[in-house]
Amino acid sequence: MSKLEYSDGPILEIDRLSISFFTRLREIPAVMDFSVSVMPGEAVGLVGESGCGKSTVALGVMQDLGKNGRIVGGSIKFKGRDLGEMSVEELRDIRGNEIAMIYQEPMASLNPAMKIGKQLMEVPMIHEGVSEDEAYKRALEVVTDVRLPDPERMLNSYPHQLSGGQQQRIVIAMALMSKPALLILDEPTTALDVTVEAAVVELVKDLGKKYGTSMLFISHNLGLVLETCDRLCVMYSGEAVERGSIEDVFDEMQHPYTQALFRSIPLPGADKNARPLVSIPGNFPLPHERPKGCNFGPRCDYFEAGRCDAGDIAMADVPGNDRHATRCLKFQEIDWNAPITVGEQKEKTAPGKVVLKMDQLKKYYEVAANALFGGGARKVVKANETLSFEARESETLAIVGESGCGKSTFAKVLMGLETATDGEILLDGQNIEQTPIEARDTKTISDVQMVFQNPFDTLNPSMTVGRQITRALEIFGIGDSDAERKNRMLELLDLVKLPRAFADRMPRQLSGGQKQRVGIARAFAGGARIVVADEPVSALDVSVQAAVTDLLMEIQRNEKTTLLFISHDLSIVRYLSDRVMVMYLGHVVELGDTDQVFSPPYHPYTEALLSAVPIADTSVEKEHIVLEGDIPSAMNPPPGCPFQTRCRWKSEVPGGLCEREVPPVRHLQAGHQIKCHLGDEVLERMTPVIKIAAE
Amino acid sequence: MDPLSWTGSIAFLNPLLFAALGLLAISILIWILIGAVTPEDRSITNVGGTLSLSAGPQGLAALAVRVTFLASAVILLAYIVLGLFMGTGAGIIGALAQRMLPVWIALILLFTLSISFKRRLGLYGKLFDSPIGMIGFGLVMFWVFTGIFGAFDMIITHDPLAQASGMKNKAPGTPLRGAEEGDFAWYLLGGDNLARDVFSRMVKGAWEVVKIAPLATIFAFMVGITLGLPAGYYGGKLDTFLSFLANLILAFPVILLFYLLVTPEIVATGLPQYMAVVLFAFPMVFFGVLLNARYRTQPQKNLMILAVVLVPLFLMYMCLINAAGSKIDVWPLDFFDVPGGILVVFVSVVFVNSPTVFRIVRGLTMDIKTRDYVAAAQTRGERPWYIMLWEVLPNARGPLIVDFCLRIGYTTILLGTLGFFGLGLPPESPDWGSTINEGRKLLSVYLHPALPPAIALLSLVLGLNLLADGLREESLRD
Repeated sequence: MSKLEYSDGPILEIDRLSISFFTRLREIPAVMDFSVSVMPGEAVGLVGESGCGKSTVALGVMQDLGKNGRIVGGSIKFKGRDLGEMSVEELRDIRGNEIAMIYQEPMASLNPAMKIGKQLMEVPMIHEGVSEDEAYKRALEVVTDVRLPDPERMLNSYPHQLSGGQQQRIVIAMALMSKPALLILDEPTTALDVTVEAAVVELVKDLGKKYGTSMLFISHNLGLVLETCDRLCVMYSGEAVERGSIEDVFDEMQHPYTQALFRSIPLPGADKNARPLVSIPGNFPLPHERPKGCNFGPRCDYFEAGRCDAGDIAMADVPGNDRHATRCLKFQEIDWNAPITVGEQKEKTAPGKVVLKMDQLKKYYEVAANALFGGGARKVVKANETLSFEARESETLAIVGESGCGKSTFAKVLMGLETATDGEILLDGQNIEQTPIEARDTKTISDVQMVFQNPFDTLNPSMTVGRQITRALEIFGIGDSDAERKNRMLELLDLVKLPRAFADRMPRQLSGGQKQRVGIARAFAGGARIVVADEPVSALDVSVQAAVTDLLMEIQRNEKTTLLFISHDLSIVRYLSDRVMVMYLGHVVELGDTDQVFSPPYHPYTEALLSAVPIADTSVEKEHIVLEGDIPSAMNPPPGCPFQTRCRWKSEVPGGLCEREVPPVRHLQAGHQIKCHLGDEVLERMTPVIKIAAE
Repeated sequence: MDPLSWTGSIAFLNPLLFAALGLLAISILIWILIGAVTPEDRSITNVGGTLSLSAGPQGLAALAVRVTFLASAVILLAYIVLGLFMGTGAGIIGALAQRMLPVWIALILLFTLSISFKRRLGLYGKLFDSPIGMIGFGLVMFWVFTGIFGAFDMIITHDPLAQASGMKNKAPGTPLRGAEEGDFAWYLLGGDNLARDVFSRMVKGAWEVVKIAPLATIFAFMVGITLGLPAGYYGGKLDTFLSFLANLILAFPVILLFYLLVTPEIVATGLPQYMAVVLFAFPMVFFGVLLNARYRTQPQKNLMILAVVLVPLFLMYMCLINAAGSKIDVWPLDFFDVPGGILVVFVSVVFVNSPTVFRIVRGLTMDIKTRDYVAAAQTRGERPWYIMLWEVLPNARGPLIVDFCLRIGYTTILLGTLGFFGLGLPPESPDWGSTINEGRKLLSVYLHPALPPAIALLSLVLGLNLLADGLREESLRD
């Protein structure tokens, strides 16, 4: 099967595309008047919050909108041919052959019942009709290209035998099998850990160059787009609002939404007290409740009634820049360089007395090798290994680490859902490590509360918001009568800045950010003094993240709460925490003040983490450190230092010490400790990973 | 009096109906054939953003199917409407339509009310967006109303137990010999081999089903839920034990179990009654734990609510299991006795249905207990039963409601089977299973006594299955 003929011009040209979904109630426009073009070898980023229609565009390109979706206007031209006019057979030839797509969830993209090799070989066998031997050779080549170790063994294994990162590499390999002209990546790294994400992104970039593939990169993460793409297109509520090269859009943004987006993400330099984030007011409009005129109008600082809401607004070219366009009527009037009006500056609250103290905490799980009869050899999973730290009143301690580092286990032990294997947890000087939650008194329980990660999971879907908060009040024994509790519940809604009318709503009527606020209100119902926030904002959209983070900070300031902030996002950690604890495979590898942790000397793992986090700022220069391989399993940790399998400094330690002994805890400065064998002179040599270029 | 023909003076509709049905069958066939050979229609976007489907042969065939289906439906409706006005003038069909008048009124009322408020009625309202669901619900409610009105002697034409001389095995529409003033003058669906009216027995049989099947299913659900929740929530040894027990019961031959339970010697040992003691206790346990978990923090309110709910439940329970002169005769305040046969039917139906419910609830619980809101409840110190009953169970309701509908259907069939073997229910009982069994004996000679109850059973179970399908489909859609 041959590829489409192609002369020059853009590989993909989307012109004034409109896509609607038809439900039983109404037509829901998902994408309106959307234009973008992708030149050969170019990578174009598509950025926007969830629900803005970016994935719909990708599905539109694939002509795979399902039963309800329909293209209602405009055209999608691939290599100069209109995809909308092609027959089903022609489309089938193009999909997977000329246009390949990589989805968010790697496990869902692979057939679990088929060996990797077979799945890869299918692609050229179906599209080009090559022989099995030839296909196998090609598969081997591509798997080597995506830098997977031991390619032959990989081809002979089933998807579940690989880790998430390896699976995503296989998906990428599969997409590249037929050397497509266009690769669509729909949030390809969202399900992966940061260090793995960094490696996958690097891979995609290199492969794009090697194969000359054009890419359409869909992401909500501006930093990621900065690292991968040449041009980007910012979407808001179904429309492209700004389009241009990376430099133009990042440094000379011409749309209020783009500007607001950049102001709401924690870039280096932001500080919770001196320079707080500016969150975008209001909520994302629902598709059928979009305002007239500019969709961003109601949330825009520069809104001008009678002009911005008069009628449809077309994209306008920004003079002087190459292919830079914006959907704003006033872009030539707004002073884009005006300094941010700094919000009220807050006093930094001094940490008080020690509230929580962990001492040599250990949590081991015993796993039976044979699940059915419980016999056979037993394996010990060391989820937490000698965890020691102190947390003070009104202090934010960030716990940073990737999946499997033991932060959730630690939270479980602290909450009393599990009991510790060894060591101590002291809450106000009292041991609680061996007290399961059933045996704790109400005071202890209400003192230590938790905010959960997934806003869609944190509230019981079949109970009203008010009822859920009231239940927490009942359990904590607050209020003497129903009326009193109702009053307190309404006050809690005020506290998290939700309208009181929300008390009677069901959780499904709330947006993600609003649900997370209810979760916070519930956690503070009993006047919690220690709140464990398990990635409370990572599942939220960028513009909402800032608002929820600020809310947490504000409540903390007023209530003098100790916040244990679990996260993998170092940008937000740097923004809000006082102290940072970095964990890897159950070990605390580094602990210190935020400044100490974010500046050299680093623990090698911290260094890699810092380098892996994408930063949406063109003036930031990062040292590129890509960790090889995946995080080892906690079931089978490497001997000696847990990080030795991926450490780039290992050769600096003489005598293979890293492979033999777990490093001791070393105190570098007051309150700064790392767990590493590296000599002092090596640590001295370390340079900062993130440098802000001189302006 | 002349015997009634099937359609009487509206016989002119018959050729029309046959023509419409024939066309419908042909158009469906063509539609399937065309769908297999021609490609799918693609939508075309016109200038100006309007949409049109290309009118291919497939679209035409689909249109033909729709038109012929509508025509058939209209003609069928005409039979009923004309029959309503003309009564026996329109033959047996007309007379039946007229006798069913209360059912029609109730159905029309129910549907108009439901459809006009469907946006406010949650999942029940959504049901009226699905044609399949509506047909199923209509069939089910038809039999429910028939059962209820039949219980008030409203629809039946004769006493279902009375025998009329000379009416033995008479064909449908035979006039009653020696009918007195006020008697209905025909056996509409004929007489059975004991000269009883088949139509009236079928209507009365509907009541037998309507009163036993849902109640027995509810009991089975209480048992399954009360055991399935802890098994799924705690897991481990408790789960292994309970699941093994469930598998054991499921593996036991059902019919043999029924025969065992109704054997006089076994009944004399009081075994069914002891089983009733255990099985009927579950609703009390369920409601007690449910309310206690919810109001635990307010002891006074808790006590009052528990008393209000549990005392009547306990009285009912004692009356149910206590029977004068049987093995269990300890309770002085026995207001009513359940006939021994019914009790056995009840016990056996609950006994064989609950293990399946148990397994569904257990699986759902294992899934839902991993959610964050369960973790949130745990971290605020909720007791396990509160989490199971108030955090897990309400969120498992979707699949449970669907299964409930299906399970009423199984129970109905089970009741039919029991009746067919003459187990449990009294011999002259008009329930469908028994009537089918009696009719079966002369099936090669007289078809008419066995067919109406068989069709009734079929349509009710079909309705329940369609209803479950509709509910499942609608609960997944948005």
